[in-house]
Amino acid sequence: MIRLHHCPQSRSMRSLWLLNELEVPFEIVLHAFDKSLRDPDYLSLSPAGRVPALEIEGERMFETAAITEYLCERYPAAGMGRAPGEPDRMAWLVWVHFAETISQHVASLTQQHIVLREDWMRSPVMMELEARRLEKCYAAIEARLSTPIENRDYLLTSGFSAADVSVGQAVYMARYFASLDGFPAVADWYARISERPAFRAALPGEDAALIYDRPFYAPWPVAGR
Amino acid sequence: MTEPRPRLHHVPFSRSFRTLWLLEELGIDAEIVPHDIRAGDMRDPVYRAKSPAGRVPALEIDGRTLFESGAICEYLAETRGTLGRAPGHPERADYLTAIHYAETMAGLVEQLNLSRIFLRPPAQPSIPVLKITTARLRATLDGLEAMLEARDHALASGFSAADTMMGFNLFAVPYYVRLDPYPNVAAYRARLEARPAFQAARAKDGPQTFYRQEFYPIPEDSQ
Repeated sequence: MIRLHHCPQSRSMRSLWLLNELEVPFEIVLHAFDKSLRDPDYLSLSPAGRVPALEIEGERMFETAAITEYLCERYPAAGMGRAPGEPDRMAWLVWVHFAETISQHVASLTQQHIVLREDWMRSPVMMELEARRLEKCYAAIEARLSTPIENRDYLLTSGFSAADVSVGQAVYMARYFASLDGFPAVADWYARISERPAFRAALPGEDAALIYDRPFYAPWPVAGR
Repeated sequence: MTEPRPRLHHVPFSRSFRTLWLLEELGIDAEIVPHDIRAGDMRDPVYRAKSPAGRVPALEIDGRTLFESGAICEYLAETRGTLGRAPGHPERADYLTAIHYAETMAGLVEQLNLSRIFLRPPAQPSIPVLKITTARLRATLDGLEAMLEARDHALASGFSAADTMMGFNLFAVPYYVRLDPYPNVAAYRARLEARPAFQAARAKDGPQTFYRQEFYPIPEDSQ
């Protein structure tokens, strides 16, 4: 049995989307995005107190991208992975890892805008810097999708894969802090992958507690400019 | 037929040290292309074509260019040597978890680097953010300390490519969190440091100039 520990809108949505694409049976344990993730019971599953955590056939795993890689290897039929030796293996690894780079900037922005309780704790310089870094990430995706020969529909030449799930869900979160305006290939690709039923089924339910309760969090003006 | 020499794009004391070290462990002779993070030469379009987010490491190998240190680590271990754990291996889940956990820890170190090294006056780091980030870094060390209770390396079977990912962190972490409360982590670090390939990589990396003080305590709260 597979059991996914999940907070809506967080990185664990990536594992949820992937499980939906793999069409394997699993159950979800919902967690609040708060201090309860530091409870000793949960820490025994995920030592840094983060989601996702995955229980699978007696294994306990944490770290989103490790879960992504493992699930793709365990359930190859859906074609979400690219095994060692396949032509797109190198690119698949790069983009699955790059999704975590994007998410580190998102985590920093989520902390700045949402997690910190009081305004004096926030740093407008950091907000702006991290939002600019997200735009650099978008530029990297834009360059990947718009090749000189023809635009790619997906990150890999061989078609849709867990690389799109990983980077796509990272972009889902990043859009709260950096707009896709100016990145037309990324916007088209995002529209394409977010139409997938497996993505839609990974979105927060009607009455789920949301991390992001408004569409966009702009950087605050920097004093003295 | 001889393979062309791989080329590693490298910034001293950065994540690209992981690749430098792994190449030494695997006995691969690579050309090192140094970059200066402060001079901004990684924003150059020629470099951008290799590493689209303008970061190190990037590794030119097998006719293509890889970026992301974790992806490079996995690729090298899959295609060369015996330091990986292939799909289906009983330690596969642990191997993948260790590689990515190392990156979670490195991301927190990077956040602290950003606040303490790169942020220039008059901008001041937010003290609550430093506290939270440092606490989260400690939480990752708690997890590692517990993991190392029953083993000498990231994997029970011994040294693997995952240790080059994790090991690099442990030379940056002590600028922000002292390792004294983490005896298993400190012993693990010493074990890694004793490896000849680590020392060879360290010699190529040169003296550390990134951190300008031996420890960065969190400044006193003015609020």
